[in-house]
Amino acid sequence: MKSLICIKQSNESGEMNLFDTHAIEEALKLKQKFENRGYQEDFSVDVVTIGPSENSKIIKRAFGMGADKGYHVITKERGYSFSFETASRLAAVAKKESYDLILTGIMSQDLMAGQTGPMLAEILNLPCVTGVVKTELAADNSSIKVEQEMENGFRNGLEIILPAVLTIQAGINTPRYPTLSRMLAAGKKEIMTFNETDLFSKKTGAVQAREIFVSMEDPQKTRAGHLLQGSLADKAKQLFTVLHGKALI
Amino acid sequence: MKQILVIAEMLDGVIQPATWEITAAAAKIKKLKESGQIKIIIPSDDPLPIAKETAKQTGMDVIGLKSNDLKDYDSDVYKQCLFKLVKTIDPSHILTAHTSQGRDFAPGLAISFNAASIACVNEIKKDDKGLLYSRSVLGNTKNMIVRPAEGIPVVLTLMPGVFQPDNFNNQKKGRVEICEIAFDPDCSNTRRIRHEKILQKSCENKTLKGAKIIVSAGRGIGKKENLDAIFKFAQCFSSSAVGVSRPLVDMGWIGYEHQVGITGAAVSPRLYIACGISGSSQHLAGMKDARFVVSINNNPDAPIFRHSDLCIVEDIDPFLQAFLKVVQTK
Ligand SMILES: Cc1cc2nc3c(=O)[nH]c(=O)nc-3n(C[C@H](O)[C@H](O)[C@H](O)COP(=O)(O)OP(=O)(O)OC[C@H]3O[C@@H](n4cnc5c(N)ncnc54)[C@H](O)[C@@H]3O)c2cc1C
Ligand SMILES: Nc1ncnc2c1ncn2[C@@H]1O[C@H](COP(=O)(O)O)[C@@H](O)[C@H]1O
Repeated sequence: MKSLICIKQSNESGEMNLFDTHAIEEALKLKQKFENRGYQEDFSVDVVTIGPSENSKIIKRAFGMGADKGYHVITKERGYSFSFETASRLAAVAKKESYDLILTGIMSQDLMAGQTGPMLAEILNLPCVTGVVKTELAADNSSIKVEQEMENGFRNGLEIILPAVLTIQAGINTPRYPTLSRMLAAGKKEIMTFNETDLFSKKTGAVQAREIFVSMEDPQKTRAGHLLQGSLADKAKQLFTVLHGKALI
Repeated sequence: MKQILVIAEMLDGVIQPATWEITAAAAKIKKLKESGQIKIIIPSDDPLPIAKETAKQTGMDVIGLKSNDLKDYDSDVYKQCLFKLVKTIDPSHILTAHTSQGRDFAPGLAISFNAASIACVNEIKKDDKGLLYSRSVLGNTKNMIVRPAEGIPVVLTLMPGVFQPDNFNNQKKGRVEICEIAFDPDCSNTRRIRHEKILQKSCENKTLKGAKIIVSAGRGIGKKENLDAIFKFAQCFSSSAVGVSRPLVDMGWIGYEHQVGITGAAVSPRLYIACGISGSSQHLAGMKDARFVVSINNNPDAPIFRHSDLCIVEDIDPFLQAFLKVVQTK
């Protein structure tokens, strides 16, 4: 069994995207269960990230959690890449090996699109389930049972034939912390790096962006937003007065 | 004149209200573009009655996308049947709701249709180069304005609860067309995704729904033990309940029945107090109908403050203690 986890460094915090830590954890748990069943075969957990060179930090973190191989497609820092470009690059890496299971986060915390996983699946012509909150590999490893979160507390119980892409929702597990010994070993572990020209032939050329960044704006206020002033005790008093005036307390 | 397609949100064979929000967004696109014709697509195993009713209600043209496999939602079936239909129409825009269904199939549909794909759109505008789409990014602190590359169609998923449904011009009746499209699972006869069962989490959030006052805690409370202070705070009010943001449920600090938001409860209390909650769009979706909103957060730039009537920039713990002191003296 081979699994590939797509991980992203958040533009905001510099940390690994929260949902991606859940994706790695889920793969490591599946690996553990797989090994407990005593198959001859190995279960590998590889990670891949697309981004500028300093993003190798999150691959090291993934090694620290227990990931096997790390791929890094190095891009120049040039603002935001949209999901289509990212998914195309991820697909080019994924095609290098035949993965049985590809996991992404349900969304990235900075771009908040939730598109990369389902796009990657479509490019690779694999089935995809988004918003997964539970997984269980079938005994013969040919399929995986999952629960998919819908609105209003509903969940779909689904079984997907492998290979497949799943996008992982928080709440599925508690991501482990990297261990010190693994982090030390991670420093010595090799990360396989690519750049755009390694991934795409001259004929196909680089990925053409389908979405264009125009600007950033401040969202509008939807309410009055009256800011309380003064000391801590003053603010507490003012809040009481306002709520009392409205007969809420 | 290229068409603007609205893909109806269907659940258990019933057209969902989100459809009317998407239709309103489509009308906005038509108005800004000053061209285009809106068509509503209804994917179903038996779309005719719904299509007729929709055409009558909205005055818009409706296409019933018919396939036996479209009875229940399946991403493979949706993507393939919609792609086959969309190809023949060659629209400029394809719109659907940013719901668990919409965000499941729309990105894949965009790939097969070689379209741009913009997720969770919250506003549609225009400049001299064409239409612009706004979407919330960076934990709801900014809106990113995006345009599709020139000359390609665009698939949009629209944030629920943002576009106000129009009053339809039902003077005239829209035309109804039924398109039957077969799903063929390539290579084998089996579907790649099998539907086993539908489960429901304990959704006994009646207390939350009925509460006049809701005090909600977010990740900003720091640790599980601090929930006690939130419960104490809530007890200052009569007919109150405690809500939380999703991470607290995910971390196992409290039960799902307390979760407010798009995957939790939608509430409309007279007073909503958000303690250490950043104000993600998924959380806001659940509490935007509250009558009066108070937020306590130590970050003056927290997005929740834009959606609050009263803003208090303080650490939550000392503030609650100070407030309890005030209450005790009254
Ligand atoms: C498909 C999907 C569905 C989702 N559904 C929901 C949902 O139904 N409900 C929901 O809530 N979320 C939902 N989420 C999660 C959502 O995106 C956010 O991650 C979540 O709402 C953030 O919760 P939070 O505000 O508590 O945490 P954070 O975003 O981490 O914010 C914590 C806040 O606390 C403040 N803070 C920190 N320390 C203090 C202090 N000492 N005193 C005061 N303030 C402090 C910080 O400034 C910050 O603003 C969903 C996500 C996805 C992808
Ligand atoms: N630059 C990237 N490198 C690797 N994986 C990514 C990258 N961007 C997004 N992803 C994956 O796609 C998921 C959804 O991202 P998005 O479509 O941006 O919301 C993330 O949780 C990651 O698993």
